[in-house]
Amino acid sequence: MNRLAPAVSRGIGRVTEAALGPHQSAVIRIGFAVTWLLFLLREFPHRQELYGPDGPWSRHLAQQLISDNGAFTVLMWFGGRFWFETVYALAVLASLLLALGWRTRTMSVLFMVGVLSLQNHSVFVGDGGDNVLHLMSLYLVFTRCGQVWSLDARRAARVRAARARGERVPDRAGPVLWSVLGLFLAAVTAAGRVEGERFVPALLWAVWLGLALWWVAGRRARWSRPRVLLDAVADIVHNGALFVIMAEACLIYATAGWYKIQGSRWQDGTAVYYPLHLDYFSPWPALADLLSASGTLVMIVTYGTVLVQVAFPFALFNRRVKNVLLAAMMTEHAVIAVVLGLPFFSLAMIATDAVFLPTSFLLRLGDRASRARARLSRRGGRGPVGGPRSPEDTEPARVGFPA
Amino acid sequence: MAVRRPARPGDRKTDRHRERGGMNAHDEDSNAPHGRHGPRGTDRHRSSGATEVPFTAGAGETGSASARPEGRSRHSPGPGDGSGPVPSPGPARGGVAALSVPYQVGVALALAVVAVAACVHLGMVFLHVAPSNTVTKQHGKAIDDWIYPEFEQNWKLFAPNPLQQNIAVQARAEIAAADGGTRTTGWYDLSAEDGRAIEGNLLPSHTQQNALRRAWDLYGLTHDSDNRPVGLRGVLAEHYLRRIVVLRLDRARAAGAGGVVERVQVRCRVTDVPPPKWSEEKAPGAPEYRLLPWWTVPADEARGGVR
Repeated sequence: MNRLAPAVSRGIGRVTEAALGPHQSAVIRIGFAVTWLLFLLREFPHRQELYGPDGPWSRHLAQQLISDNGAFTVLMWFGGRFWFETVYALAVLASLLLALGWRTRTMSVLFMVGVLSLQNHSVFVGDGGDNVLHLMSLYLVFTRCGQVWSLDARRAARVRAARARGERVPDRAGPVLWSVLGLFLAAVTAAGRVEGERFVPALLWAVWLGLALWWVAGRRARWSRPRVLLDAVADIVHNGALFVIMAEACLIYATAGWYKIQGSRWQDGTAVYYPLHLDYFSPWPALADLLSASGTLVMIVTYGTVLVQVAFPFALFNRRVKNVLLAAMMTEHAVIAVVLGLPFFSLAMIATDAVFLPTSFLLRLGDRASRARARLSRRGGRGPVGGPRSPEDTEPARVGFPA
Repeated sequence: MAVRRPARPGDRKTDRHRERGGMNAHDEDSNAPHGRHGPRGTDRHRSSGATEVPFTAGAGETGSASARPEGRSRHSPGPGDGSGPVPSPGPARGGVAALSVPYQVGVALALAVVAVAACVHLGMVFLHVAPSNTVTKQHGKAIDDWIYPEFEQNWKLFAPNPLQQNIAVQARAEIAAADGGTRTTGWYDLSAEDGRAIEGNLLPSHTQQNALRRAWDLYGLTHDSDNRPVGLRGVLAEHYLRRIVVLRLDRARAAGAGGVVERVQVRCRVTDVPPPKWSEEKAPGAPEYRLLPWWTVPADEARGGVR
């Protein structure tokens, strides 16, 4: 008992003093944002058919379903083609900026709005990949996912350097963005266009108010104590959200695995054969035939899939086993992307898996990326100002409160 | 394998939402019977979920004066190589411990609320994805109120059994020809078109892989065996399927020059996937068909109202 108390207080200290897993939260931010960005670009020629007001799932049909289920979509705020095109374009832009980590908190909210708006409008064209993105876009809003590998982190480092030199760095983009979005949200709310469940609108307002508080606390010198409080609260929320994201990943694997165990085809070792021979999931029939030529091989893959999915949540208790299973699952998802023709589902799952990657691995990855970037910019002839940046420079400032 | 069981009134799947996550191509009925369809309340008025809201406050965006100290350098491998989260920079900013008691109470309160909210949320999600059980039977309404609409999820990926049938949706049209006569087209195999579009495609579109497939799924789940719609979703499913069919027939120029599609009919052909060569199971029987009644196409739809 007297060893428990210090452990608990250490734990409380950790979750209140820092936003944990800065690299993990950054890598999933980039992963989900890029997945959705690529999806939107890929479906750009089909956007009308999938989400447009005159598509098969028309605005009229969507309206009836949404008035029944109360899901959030800004597409219902106004009719017409122009609004739809605007929302689609903004969804593309928000995912790009979220991936880059520019005004990360605001972009995570706009990213969520984009995902929810399109998916909730046409819920019957989605698949498991859309489902993952839908949930993760909500969870990401609660995280400080721009601490590293983001433009925000770079900006925070610059601001700090300037402050150290005694300069003041005015921030214009932030307040402008905040005002514009706030005004727009207030206008549509006043016009009574925000209907349905109140959860998402309340979340929008809460983040908006939170950002205002944060800004004020950052400006007033005598607000240093409220600022520490706000900082701690943001860290706590981040840590809670990261925990939820990890638990959600475990629930995904556990559900997928435990339900499979109950299926006769997963028991007799033939299950993997069948999706490979469904017309909708076999872009490469010859490859599917090759993969399912051996009954023993199919059984090994079938059992292996179940084993890995069921075991994964428990493997988290052992770092080495966890990493082995993680590599196995990422590989399997990469194979699924091609063999079953599910690239965006696979990308979303790989992004989810990435939350469990070890920090050392992510740091190596970051180093390699910054070195590659330095090489590229040298080759491009426009050598970086002040010579090649040392890895220390490019090592993203894990600081700041980019969000 | 049987064709998917038509819906009955009171089915959980039709009354409730179950809208998301439809790539799974699973076949719930191919396993032993089970009781997933117990009635739960259908009414869904939700509270605002306000408990989750306040904690986004303080989630600042602009750079702040209270600079956090630099983190561990990369050259000092710390305990952070392990799974998942690692503390970012250490606590040298005065920290929570330096706050006065009221502020510390604030932090403690935030911690308590977030911890409770996270645990409740995960509990709800767990119960949502779990099989029907004692707790979900007693508290189904509370669980659904929490989960729907935004946290709905379905992870029965190819489970409990993968779908073992190829379901092809086919359609034909009755055309008012330019000369005043009426003719009926042959059957267009719309799923085969999808299949051809998917074959050799590294990036299949949702329009090819999901739209028709899931529209048919939805139709099956929201109609009884006499093709009567069950509830609002049944009616919507019918309109949706009709609009997809009209769009596809229009692209195939089924109406011909000067013709107008007046009515469409849909059928599906269900073919069992042949068992693997190495297995001893016997080859499947002939395909089964399900024929839907003719549907009249509203004039604006036929004139390209679906894009």
